[in-house]
Amino acid sequence: MKNKEFYHRLDPTWCKGCGLFGVFDALKRAAAALAIEPEDLVIVTGIGCHGRLNNYFQGYGFHGLHGRAMPVAAGIKLVNPRLQVVAVSGDGDAYSIGLGHFIHTLRKNVGLTYVVVDNRLFALTQGQASPTTDFGMVTLSTPFGSKDFPIDGPSLALAAGGTFIARGFSGEVAQLASLIEQGMRHDGFALIDILSPCVTHNKVNTYDWYRKHISHVEDLPGYSPRDKARAWEVLTHPEKIAVGLIYEEAKPSFESLVLPDREKPIASLDLEVDGPRLRKIMDGFR
Amino acid sequence: MIKDLAVMIAGRAGDGVLFTGNVLARLLKRHGWEIVTSRDFPSNIRGEATCYTVRASLDKIYGQGDRVNILLAFDCEAILAHLPEMAENGIVFCDGQGVAAPSPEQARGKTFHRLFLRTLAREQFGQEIYKNVIALGALSYVLDLDPLLLDGIISEMFLKRKGEEVVHKNIQAARSGYEKAREITAEKERHPLTRRPDENRILISGDEAIGFGALAAGCRYFAAYPICPASEIWQWLVHYLADFGGAVVQTEDELASLNMALGASFAGARAMTSTSGPGASLMMEAFSLAGMAEIPVVIAHVQRLGPSTGMPTKTQQGDVLQWIFGSHGEFPRIVLAPGTVGECFDLTVGAFNLAEKYQCPVIILTELDMGQDYRTSRAFDFSQVRIDRGKLLTPEVLQNIPDFKRYAITDDGISPRALPSWKNGVHLVESLEHDEKGYRDEDPLNRRRMMEKRMRKLDPAAADLFPPKTWGCQKAEVGFIGFGSTLGAILEAVDELRAKNIASRFLQLRTLWPFPAAEVREFLAESRELFVVEHNFTGELATLIRSQVSPCSEIKSILNYSTRPFTPRDIVEPVLRSRR
Repeated sequence: MKNKEFYHRLDPTWCKGCGLFGVFDALKRAAAALAIEPEDLVIVTGIGCHGRLNNYFQGYGFHGLHGRAMPVAAGIKLVNPRLQVVAVSGDGDAYSIGLGHFIHTLRKNVGLTYVVVDNRLFALTQGQASPTTDFGMVTLSTPFGSKDFPIDGPSLALAAGGTFIARGFSGEVAQLASLIEQGMRHDGFALIDILSPCVTHNKVNTYDWYRKHISHVEDLPGYSPRDKARAWEVLTHPEKIAVGLIYEEAKPSFESLVLPDREKPIASLDLEVDGPRLRKIMDGFR
Repeated sequence: MIKDLAVMIAGRAGDGVLFTGNVLARLLKRHGWEIVTSRDFPSNIRGEATCYTVRASLDKIYGQGDRVNILLAFDCEAILAHLPEMAENGIVFCDGQGVAAPSPEQARGKTFHRLFLRTLAREQFGQEIYKNVIALGALSYVLDLDPLLLDGIISEMFLKRKGEEVVHKNIQAARSGYEKAREITAEKERHPLTRRPDENRILISGDEAIGFGALAAGCRYFAAYPICPASEIWQWLVHYLADFGGAVVQTEDELASLNMALGASFAGARAMTSTSGPGASLMMEAFSLAGMAEIPVVIAHVQRLGPSTGMPTKTQQGDVLQWIFGSHGEFPRIVLAPGTVGECFDLTVGAFNLAEKYQCPVIILTELDMGQDYRTSRAFDFSQVRIDRGKLLTPEVLQNIPDFKRYAITDDGISPRALPSWKNGVHLVESLEHDEKGYRDEDPLNRRRMMEKRMRKLDPAAADLFPPKTWGCQKAEVGFIGFGSTLGAILEAVDELRAKNIASRFLQLRTLWPFPAAEVREFLAESRELFVVEHNFTGELATLIRSQVSPCSEIKSILNYSTRPFTPRDIVEPVLRSRR
């Protein structure tokens, strides 16, 4: 256990009240709970308000392209599986431009923690509709109401074979931190979808609105995150948004399947030229 | 004495044309001849016409010839389709199915034989599939090859996978083909090839040579999406990379391939991806990221015919300017273009060193003809392979650096690099404009300094790059400039012109970017008449030369935007025409 402020590099400059403050705090708490050294942690971000996180968090970071956090993070994890690799994205990143990467990285079960901060619109670009924007919602890009039906990340994850599917709320930092910590401990791909209000552009899905609409799965009698049918049931509940550890199962991680030796990371291989071995391979062309 | 000969195997996709051609190429290589193969095949699996030409020569050759001497056709349509390409005294073997009625004019001078391959295969060996080995036996007789060479190859191919019985049966089939050909052909129809020692040579495709170069250079992470004609790089590497401690990963698309390679490289691997036409377009986004974040990466692009899906199984050189000027923003990049399979290996090794030394993306730009066709080469010399990781620090050195800056502004523009997990090296790799530590910075002065830092990295690179190579006569009126697999046809055009008392030279560009302007300028000044030879419509290399060499003397383009690689004739004829 470390002090969470150990990971605090700079004070964030997000809008006052932004859900990202809760996410930032939860990430620091999770890292502290696992006592990760900053050099053993890599945070990969996409493009959006969340992308500033790298400036504030003490650790190796990769702030890449919009929607492409997943393949970058997977490349890092496979080359050095000893690293704790956390990818952070927004709903645009994860569920719009990067949806394909999300589904495929999840289905490969790469050992990443994917924190998706869902504020239900594109905030950095001033508030256009995103794939999680409610049907009919008026945004900068949909002045006559959104005509797109929203999609739900955790439901997609369950359908695609996710092995750790959780949803948190940036208004409940302690639980969120615990979910992220569990996700980091999970051997395989962990999705933590986060309901996170945008106080500037989204006047509908506010903290109060979320408090009224969420239900915690741990409060449901007999709920087990190992029960896939039940997980599906709570995810598709029409009125309440399920929050908590929704589903979890054990499946071999991608790195355990493809890497010849997890104790000998690609990152630290000696690249010397092995002439005799290469010549033997070349004999196949004679 | 025969010095140069081409054998074409033709039929329909699914006939085993590829198998037969590959074995014949290996057979002739073991006989000591120089080999270039060429495949003309549709982008489907079964049914459509396909052909495979094996050209063998006593001289070193790099490309296709103009004529076919022996045609082995699995159906009659193939005869009609390819008779126009045949040499005067050509010999045609067909399976004997169907009726082919070539015009007397086309048939003149050639002999035709029926081999009844399928019938023989079915009756004597119980399965039609033996027709291919029977055909190879027949060709062995006609070319007067040692039958034991074919037996050896059959044994290598089948013993491990299929067992002794299959080997024995195939050898019997080869013998029956040999005897059948002896029975039906006249002695004067034979094309006997002298045997030469087959020493220290290999038969390899450009794709395999790139894969081999990557393996030797320490590439340990390869991510790609399947695409014709680049997949063979991956399909070769996938057999070896795990043994060397590395990983090959199939991604969901090319966006992911390059981004994943960048993540892998950031974490410390020598990483690579490969692609072609549409995949390269998808990679343009992350290409720019590699430039901005200064991440070493190698991208092999095996060009195919475009635009769009175009013709995925045909060769072209239409993606040159995309890599040199493409993507958003301005950033340094290196584009290499191998002209031989040996260079596919050497330039790939070089690409990994250049990428790490200059911390930028390096493109190995080749084409389908180089990538998928086989050529003989001197065996690769691994003692020449050096691994230079540039300014990559070590954890020990990093410990003693008081204030590590990943993007430190240095005289040469290249900054020290640390890897995740190394203490004291925590930094951000940033796609936004950033300060020396990697954190976002929108200060105008910082922007200027960072832009200048990145853009000056390649200023002194010329000494490390692969210089152009000059071929042909020392002094010549006619000059050719080209790159990549057109080399073979250009060199033979130089020979043919010399035979017509026209002296010519060829400047083979092996680095397309940074552009070797000084060498090209000098070559232009020394040539009275200059032709840029390239396999595209608009003359991309000529455009590049005009933009980089100023003032530029008059240059003429010899272009080919058909589906087939250049032949020497395609180059000789325009030169002769221009001199009339």
